[in-house]
Amino acid sequence: MPKVEAVFDRLLHPFSDLLDTGSYVWHIIVSASRVVLGFILAALIGIPLGLLVGRYLLFHKIFSPIIEILRPLCPIAWIPFAMAIFKTYTIAEVFGVRYTTTIFGHIQLGMLFVIFYGGFFPIFLNTVHGVKSVKNIFMESALLLGADQRKLFKKVILPASLPAVLTGLRLGLGISWMVIIAAEMLPGSDAGIGYLIMFSYELAEMDILIASMILIGAVGALLSYVVKLASDRTSVWQAKER
Amino acid sequence: MAFLKVYNVTKTYIGARKEEILALSDLAFDCSDREFLCIVGPTGCGKTTLLRLIAGLEQPTAGEITIADKIVEGISKNTTLVFQQYSLFPWRNVIDNIAFSMEMRNIHKRTRYEEAQRLIRLVGLTGFEKAFPYELSGGMQQRVAIARALAHNPKLLLLDEPFGALDERTRHRLQEELLTIWEHEKKTVVFVTHNIDEAVFLASRILVMRDRPGSIEYDFQIDLPRPRDRRSKEFLELHIMVREILERILTNTNAY
Repeated sequence: MPKVEAVFDRLLHPFSDLLDTGSYVWHIIVSASRVVLGFILAALIGIPLGLLVGRYLLFHKIFSPIIEILRPLCPIAWIPFAMAIFKTYTIAEVFGVRYTTTIFGHIQLGMLFVIFYGGFFPIFLNTVHGVKSVKNIFMESALLLGADQRKLFKKVILPASLPAVLTGLRLGLGISWMVIIAAEMLPGSDAGIGYLIMFSYELAEMDILIASMILIGAVGALLSYVVKLASDRTSVWQAKER
Repeated sequence: MAFLKVYNVTKTYIGARKEEILALSDLAFDCSDREFLCIVGPTGCGKTTLLRLIAGLEQPTAGEITIADKIVEGISKNTTLVFQQYSLFPWRNVIDNIAFSMEMRNIHKRTRYEEAQRLIRLVGLTGFEKAFPYELSGGMQQRVAIARALAHNPKLLLLDEPFGALDERTRHRLQEELLTIWEHEKKTVVFVTHNIDEAVFLASRILVMRDRPGSIEYDFQIDLPRPRDRRSKEFLELHIMVREILERILTNTNAY
């Protein structure tokens, strides 16, 4: 086991190169970019789909069976499949850039897919739940005050389910962050904090490994905190309601 | 000329064990323009159901309801309902709650706020424009709910035990305010309550409903001069009379 001082020393030098792979800051930026991109994708599809499924029975009937089958399937189980399908294609390659030094050369489609998959379900399911649990009295009040279906959706259902959507986003981001670490540990990965953990394990560099774990925890907490700040700002009323 | 007409309305529900429950049976009455009609009756007699039918939230199983000679087939812009439970939108502050119906009608923001301000003054909530519902007491919330309903400018205002959850002092104050509003805004009001004192204080006419199944037992005009004095002989006599009718209904029901 490494000395505590050695681990601290690693944490105190976040910009220095580690085992010729780049610094902590670099690896965190790579991991975080993958997560943020995959997570945005999950939110862009999960929220609108959740709104539709929660509101319209037809969508509920179409999507519920598919989702009930896919949901228990752990996102990590998808990693080998995603690697096989997407190989090591990166975003840069998809846009026709073969050699690049930008971050996009490190964002593999397979990784995006598993992050999307991990983030999607909490976002989607919480949105559905949020829409379904809008109190009937709010909907009836709005209709009695002259709301049509479109305005009912925009002015009542949307704001009333916003707190649930934000909870979904927070959970989804947490899961995405866990999934990316697992995905980066697998062969075919070239950077990221999960990759660094595995690489330092193979070279028996325990101080780097432990410092990495501490950083994963810290970044995860930070991501969750950012979403919490955003949700506290937008839905103060939810916290104060009884 | 009757403004609101209820023609032999019957309403049945399907219960949990698939049995038919008769909530309202062959109920009929008229209500003239600008009347303050109070409906009293024992718990579960279908008062709320009747109000929901008039509001167009539900349809009668048989019979028909007309407002200004038009059959009620759904929610109409002439009617709005103030619920017993707190129904303010918790994500909107006071002024935006009140302005909601005007926003639905795409009225310009400045006009909408001017009218909302007028209603805020009317219900005595000046200074609370930016407050959120969770910051208000129960009595204040119901004032906002009434102002929000008035902003919709309905000809017929339905109130379902709006002061039921309030303490007596607040209730008395809001009753007086409601009467001022009723005189000032020239509305027809149908007010459901199980509180006899409240009915005698407010109503220009009282309907007493019986339960199992819900129907009208008594219908009488209240001609006491306003403002009414709760301690006057006439007030107390009416109070006792309504109480006796209600007690008779309850004994009859229990005898079944």
